[in-house]
Amino acid sequence: MIVLETRDLECGYGEVKVLWGVSIKAKKGQLTTIIGSNGVGKTTLLRAIMGIIPVWNGDILFYGEEITKMPTHSRVEKGLVMVPEGRMVFPHMTVLENLEMGAYTKRAEEKKDEQLEFVFDLFPRLKERMHQKAGTLSGGEQQMLAIARGLMSCPEILILDEPSLGLSPKLTLEIFETVKKLKDEGLTMLLVEQNVHLSLAISDYAYVMAEGRIKMEGTGEELEKSEEIRKAYLGI
Amino acid sequence: MLDVWIDSIISGILLGLVYGLAAIGLSLIWGVMKVINLSHGAFIALGMFTAYFLFAFGLNPYLGVPIIFALGIILGIAVYFVALHRIIDAPELSTLLSTFSISLFIIGLGTFVWTTIPYAIDIHVGSISIGNITILGTKVIAGIVSIILTILLYIFLYRTKTGKAVRAVSMNRVAAELMGINTTRILALSFGIGIALAMTAGALIATIFPFTILSGGVYELKSFVICVLGGLGSPIGALVGGLILGIIENVITLQIPTGLVPFIEFTILVAVLLIKPSGLLGGEV
Ligand SMILES: Nc1ncnc2c1ncn2[C@@H]1O[C@H](COP(=O)(O)OP(=O)(O)O)[C@@H](O)[C@H]1O
Ligand SMILES: [Mg+2]
Repeated sequence: MIVLETRDLECGYGEVKVLWGVSIKAKKGQLTTIIGSNGVGKTTLLRAIMGIIPVWNGDILFYGEEITKMPTHSRVEKGLVMVPEGRMVFPHMTVLENLEMGAYTKRAEEKKDEQLEFVFDLFPRLKERMHQKAGTLSGGEQQMLAIARGLMSCPEILILDEPSLGLSPKLTLEIFETVKKLKDEGLTMLLVEQNVHLSLAISDYAYVMAEGRIKMEGTGEELEKSEEIRKAYLGI
Repeated sequence: MLDVWIDSIISGILLGLVYGLAAIGLSLIWGVMKVINLSHGAFIALGMFTAYFLFAFGLNPYLGVPIIFALGIILGIAVYFVALHRIIDAPELSTLLSTFSISLFIIGLGTFVWTTIPYAIDIHVGSISIGNITILGTKVIAGIVSIILTILLYIFLYRTKTGKAVRAVSMNRVAAELMGINTTRILALSFGIGIALAMTAGALIATIFPFTILSGGVYELKSFVICVLGGLGSPIGALVGGLILGIIENVITLQIPTGLVPFIEFTILVAVLLIKPSGLLGGEV
């Protein structure tokens, strides 16, 4: 079953077009990845999917339903959840308050206690720092909090925008392990990454983006073997 | 002589609490919406007239506070959708001009209806005397009402789900929307609360001093000075800033003419902006 789909999506900022007809699909229970260098429009695509910026042309479908013009908060209410680039935790709120904000929607509030236990299990460090202000956490801890906060929203699909950005290699591995764990739990995810090797290794399906277009797609294995990818991104 | 000083300081504290209340409104609107509300003074004046007419119809202005507050929220939400909603993402100059035109509209209409002659609420609630010091009851009640409203606002912001959403929007609007918060509603509500605080402060001031439709400007200036003292965006800073300004104002007028007060307030404003632009107390919602 296809959870999320974009069809020939075009959008941009002001007069400048960034996406030139992007079509992707994310299937239930799978980890779908989008890789591509800096500035090719990955974040822009995710912003359009969440409704943070308006779509110029094309459609967005969630479980087959058209949501192209739906406001962001209504998409979240339906279970379309994004952990944004740059984490965006609420700095003057405690870790616990941040997690509560994640469970803001009616749907998520009902399962709040359950989810809280789940994310504290996943990130014991957050439990230790429950009453600490989020702004005082380290970069890695803030990323964990951002992911945990996303999980609190009870996502039908969790969208992650470069969760390893700016993290040390060790923390990057930790984040990837978490993503793998969530995948094994059956969570549907759409991951945007520049860390090509690590992402392809755990992806079910992947898209390669360049200059606002999808340049290639296939299973993680297929892409890892592809000559073009190896040259362009893996430096082998 | 000492009695006069103590008298002034107590008056200053009580008035400072009311000034603080108005400033919290300004501060909240800035903190959540990043809008500098140049119509704040006009709404303070509108609060004064609302209290006046409620009193004329036989309602005690203090009992009228909930009504004035509710009216302020409704009016603020309406004004948000008419004048601010479409330009909330535009550069700050747009919202500045928009709130300025709201101010011109209210003051223009108010001048037409009520002219600029002074009005006063003729209310007597006695006074409190300790030794040689006598404090007017109206000031005492105004101070207490301000404290109560500030505490209620804090409970709202820190203990309720909607209040937490207001704080989340003030910290990061996109992130708040990504939590499933309808941020448009939160922005409208925040503007409503800010206006309600301005109108309520106006109503309380109207029980103490005579006023005209133009009086709001004086208190708007005080609100700006207080916010700069306490750090824009911080309610508790605004309250402390209000206390500082109230005390300074009441103590210095023992020595110098009242007419110089705005000059001194401007001097404080400029001095703080030069020395520590983030506000003497800093802080965030
Ligand atoms: N808020 C914005 N306003 C204008 N241009 C933007 C904005 N955000 C991104 N861009 C531009 O859009 C292009 C794609 O950016 P982005 O989607 O952030 O790329 P990626 O996430 O793949 O690194 C870049 O050229 C970038 O400069
Ligand atoms: Mg990006």
